[in-house]
Amino acid sequence: MARRRKALAPKGKDEDVRIVAGFALGSILTALMILVVIIAPPATVGPSEGELAPDFSADAYAGSNWENFKLSDTFDYEWEEGESGEWILIQFIDTDCPYCWSEGESMSNLHAEWSNDVKFITIAVELSLSGHDSNREEVESFRDQTSYGTDANDGDGCNSGRDNCMNRPGNTHNWDYIEGSSNIMKDWEVSGTPFLVVLQPDGYVAWNQGENKGETIEAAMQRVVGGSQ
Amino acid sequence: MNEALSDPILISFIGGLLVSTYLMFIKNKNTTNLLMSSLAFAGVGIISSTYTYIIHNKMVVQGTTSFCSSEGFIQCGSVIGDPQWNNLLGVPWGIFGVISFSLLIFLSLSLYLDRHAKWADDYLNYSWWASLVGLPFVALLVVIELTQVEQAPHICPFCTVAHLSLIGYVASIYYLKDNKLNSKWSEQE
Repeated sequence: MARRRKALAPKGKDEDVRIVAGFALGSILTALMILVVIIAPPATVGPSEGELAPDFSADAYAGSNWENFKLSDTFDYEWEEGESGEWILIQFIDTDCPYCWSEGESMSNLHAEWSNDVKFITIAVELSLSGHDSNREEVESFRDQTSYGTDANDGDGCNSGRDNCMNRPGNTHNWDYIEGSSNIMKDWEVSGTPFLVVLQPDGYVAWNQGENKGETIEAAMQRVVGGSQ
Repeated sequence: MNEALSDPILISFIGGLLVSTYLMFIKNKNTTNLLMSSLAFAGVGIISSTYTYIIHNKMVVQGTTSFCSSEGFIQCGSVIGDPQWNNLLGVPWGIFGVISFSLLIFLSLSLYLDRHAKWADDYLNYSWWASLVGLPFVALLVVIELTQVEQAPHICPFCTVAHLSLIGYVASIYYLKDNKLNSKWSEQE
């Protein structure tokens, strides 16, 4: 009697090939990562001393209108320690912060002394506090010392709305004021203002105020920038 | 011709895409070739993503790179060098590409090694859905290149290779699903 043979369905292999696939993938990834490390190892980016400053692109006001500004465009990547070059002082402010208000004068003094060797950049951010709302007009007035708000403590103007921006201590700040954002604050780990950072000409952080409590910016500039001249 | 398009590395990537496409259509779209095609697309994708990550690192540390042009419409400098758009939550897009294509390689390689395993149906579906998830990101990145980066519009050629790799992968998985549906999964059937 003839037997009917059932058609065999293809069966999977006995061993689990997913382990082989996993090892193959691991090898590919290892090779690629070795390639990356050899050709272009990732830089340590951050606001801490020795790290490459976090780059940003934002609008900047330099006295006439708001134009795009990219921090890394100010870096001199060829610079080497001991060479002359333009250092960068970054100041984070909130136009409504009382300490930033009074720091206006010391920044003017610093600029008078160091503007030949140091590029000054102020980043205007908005702290998440009531009465700290600001706009471009307020930032422009803070920088230029032009009339904005009143001198009455009515919430209108700079310094938590206590002062007309034209009365900010110091002189007109003749440098770029950048429109800050929450992303820039996050990248730079800014939790309060004012906050200062000094960058080497090649963009690496040379001095971070948060890491040097007790050292004034004047002393830091003398030590870090002055010492390099 | 735009300088960026004559880059020998870019030409190699384009060659890889052409080979992957050829594998997809030869021999009446049989399963073995389609699996090889999906692997080839994912391979080109992972290597091009790694290359964009290398360019990213060069741009961060040196501000420029000889690996890709920074002039003209087709270029990388203004795209990968844009600090606002060259990352997602601080992670460079190239890293996302490497991770995504790693997953796709694992799924396709597992299927290639044993298409009759009991998990094969699931893995084919995972490949399909995982690759589809990537398509909105490709669309987003193209919009960013054309409208958001510095002095837009621009097209980054190596990023485009990674995007096309994903689209090619989706196509090969689509045909594989079709083979499965029409009992052409096993070439003996």
